[in-house]
Amino acid sequence: MIDFMSKFSVPGIILFIVLTGFIKKVPVFDVFVEGAKEGARAAFDVLPVMVGILAAVSILNASGFIDILAGLVEKPLSLFGIPAEVVPILIIRPFSGSASLGLFTKQIKVFGADSYLGRVISTIMGSSETVLYTLPVYFGAANVKNTRYALAASLIASYFGMLVSIYICRVI
Amino acid sequence: MLNFIWAVMIFIGVVTGLLLGRVSEISDAVLSSCVDSIELVITMTGAMCLWSGIMRVAEKAGLVNSLARLLKGVFRFLFPGIPKDHPANGAVAVSISADLLGLGSAATPLGIMAMKELSKANGNSPVASNAMVMFGVLNAVCIQLIPSTVLIIRQQAGSINPSSILPNVWIASVSSMLAGIIAAKLMERRA
Repeated sequence: MIDFMSKFSVPGIILFIVLTGFIKKVPVFDVFVEGAKEGARAAFDVLPVMVGILAAVSILNASGFIDILAGLVEKPLSLFGIPAEVVPILIIRPFSGSASLGLFTKQIKVFGADSYLGRVISTIMGSSETVLYTLPVYFGAANVKNTRYALAASLIASYFGMLVSIYICRVI
Repeated sequence: MLNFIWAVMIFIGVVTGLLLGRVSEISDAVLSSCVDSIELVITMTGAMCLWSGIMRVAEKAGLVNSLARLLKGVFRFLFPGIPKDHPANGAVAVSISADLLGLGSAATPLGIMAMKELSKANGNSPVASNAMVMFGVLNAVCIQLIPSTVLIIRQQAGSINPSSILPNVWIASVSSMLAGIIAAKLMERRA
């Protein structure tokens, strides 16, 4: 049922919108093309931002810094009941979507999908976003230079969610 | 802020790489990341054209306005200061609905377009408005109902019941979203 709904949502929404427009006598194709042009322009604006972000993330990933940092914070974090095994995902998650997904795919096979650790990393991956990709791309596309407290608030939210993931999997 | 973080990421990365003797890995990675960005943007361009086109149709058909009216109460709290009839209201409503439905390829383009509308409502200023920051934060936390990629990977890893983590995911997402809203609301008074 859920599977069907998630597969049908995209075609269903497109059908619903185009049909409603057609019934209301909107020149649907003309209007579509007009909107699509704006989409193409927006995508082009995003490219330079994307190159900058992915370059910095790839340098950080390839340098081995994440592993060193994970080794350093493992001990203090274990005092708060955070298992050492999930520390690398905690660190990498806000920075890189592809790196955290790669790590998740590798780790879940080691831990077992239905083990406590397997469920923790699944919950973390399912409930968080790549903050340092989303914010620059969104604000960059809108030509905003000063994002004020956006990053701080997003990281607070993100890490709070990850902590909840770790604790909630003990209970449910 | 982003200027600082970007510089720090590059600095830490290159220095650590030098110390650990991983310079050639870094140089490979940074060059292939450029290819990745082009691939990502090209994939996204198609989706952005499709969805901004479809959304223009929805707008002309009056659907976007109905959705915006439906979410009006929540929006007045989250995004104060947007004029009542500004197109940003509709764009934000559409984008958040796409996030909730987990429309994946549609969510990012719609979000970017909504951010552009919010920026117009802010007079295209280089400084983000409170509403823009709140919208950024909501997009930086995950508000998707069904994380399909994670479920597929769980299934491939041999989970007996991949979707058993859904309640946990929802609780964690909602907690994270509330933390983001509270943090943003508290910080907007100071900054």
